[in-house]
Amino acid sequence: MTAQHRDAGVPDASLGLDDPPAIAGVGMTEFASADDRPLIDLLLAAAERALDDAECDASTVDSVHVGNMAAEAFNERSGLANALTGSLGLTGVTARRIENTSASGASAVQSAFEAVAGGHSTHALAVGGEKMSSADTATATEIISRITHDREYEQGVTLPSFGGLAAAAYLDAYDADRRDLARISVKNHANAAKNEYAQFRKRIDVDDVLDSPAVASPLRLYDCCPTSDGAAAVLITAEPTPNAVSVAACESATGTHAVADRTDPLEIESVRLAGEYAYESAGFGAEAIDVACIHDAFSILEWLEMEELGLAPEGDAWRLTRDGETALDGALPVNPGGGLKARGHPLGATGVSQVVELVWQLRGDLPEGRGVDGAERGLAVNVAGFGNNAVCTLLEADA
Amino acid sequence: MTQLLECRECGRRTYYEKRRCLECGGSAFDRVDAGRGELRSVTTVHVTPEGVREPNRLGLAAFPGGANVVAQLDEGLSIGDAVRLQGGHDLRVTDDGTLRGARLVAVE
Ligand SMILES: [Zn+2]
Repeated sequence: MTAQHRDAGVPDASLGLDDPPAIAGVGMTEFASADDRPLIDLLLAAAERALDDAECDASTVDSVHVGNMAAEAFNERSGLANALTGSLGLTGVTARRIENTSASGASAVQSAFEAVAGGHSTHALAVGGEKMSSADTATATEIISRITHDREYEQGVTLPSFGGLAAAAYLDAYDADRRDLARISVKNHANAAKNEYAQFRKRIDVDDVLDSPAVASPLRLYDCCPTSDGAAAVLITAEPTPNAVSVAACESATGTHAVADRTDPLEIESVRLAGEYAYESAGFGAEAIDVACIHDAFSILEWLEMEELGLAPEGDAWRLTRDGETALDGALPVNPGGGLKARGHPLGATGVSQVVELVWQLRGDLPEGRGVDGAERGLAVNVAGFGNNAVCTLLEADA
Repeated sequence: MTQLLECRECGRRTYYEKRRCLECGGSAFDRVDAGRGELRSVTTVHVTPEGVREPNRLGLAAFPGGANVVAQLDEGLSIGDAVRLQGGHDLRVTDDGTLRGARLVAVE
């Protein structure tokens, strides 16, 4: 399959600026299966934490980019960006809401990044959030399955269905076994146990995964991310501030809408392309990455995305997991905050929370045993649907 | 639908209607019989949306011409088995009526 749409090459994101856009402050709410506060309050809490972290007054913000998938369906409301600017006491700024299903958060970050890189904004606030607990499980399942292609929808296909198909094909194609797959969730839970913002702060073992209820064979409940309430925010600025982390690149790409339109069932073209564009724009590649936040909505996705991004050779990511290379003290720590599986997955918040996590890692200000030692470059990938769209962000600590 | 769309330019086939061929960008298609496919993956889904059978066994099958299909699957089939698309099944009950379409079944 060919990508005809970017033949002209990646535009120079830093055009007109001496320094790449920087992240001056980050913040998030503690992710939870249910947070009593309304969605707007969650967004506001995350935004205020990011502004406090940046030591910036809200009045400096000149653009607001809100990531959210489905407030209309979950919360029966819209107009989030304007409600948030109202709550912050801002008028006269640019504000918009960005929807890209489960990658709405990273798309909001991309929107803020592009506003700063393009010279349209000096202080761009990206805030992502979702409050899923307002809907019962059946309604939430229906809302999420509605993002599929009509030909998939009529078959009753859900996102975990694609996870099950990919996992079965991967285990059939390579030497990985079901216990190796379980080690992804075990590792992500161990990381979340140390993360005070994570939804599940409980360690689990391989047998816990294998004994959990079947969802979409071979995947079980502990292979799948939960539904969550939460919000996360980052403040992106044109001028670097002390302790800022640079945004080396933020790029995105679509894949096919129908998952089966990909020639290989283990292929996620959108992730590969978003990664290629980001590496090209940043001027460094997979080998330079010290820590990664991967969109593990289902355990199998951690392997597939690592392989698409060049973080593991094709068909080999499972070995890195089995050998502990992706653990917090391994050569390439993946999902140090617990990933979607254990930090939680409040859809529109997730992509922003990945960037929050990377900033904490790269600033090196996490407590003992929570951080990756000496990390200088980080990668986040946030995926819409089962690869309909992907956003890849590369961050670099200032030397 | 048990037919595929075949690109008049390059022959690439697809189950999922679109204006433009993913391979060559061609915009003219012919409807052709899907023929015989091979199962590339299977899953049994235990948590399904309202109006969908539970459990819902699904297969991903590769058909000639590069067309892959994800569809409800008959029992007793596994990776590597030969399958075909069989139309006329009630797939999903919605507020607007029953969605009917093709399932993947064994090739006799
Ligand atoms: Zn063609």
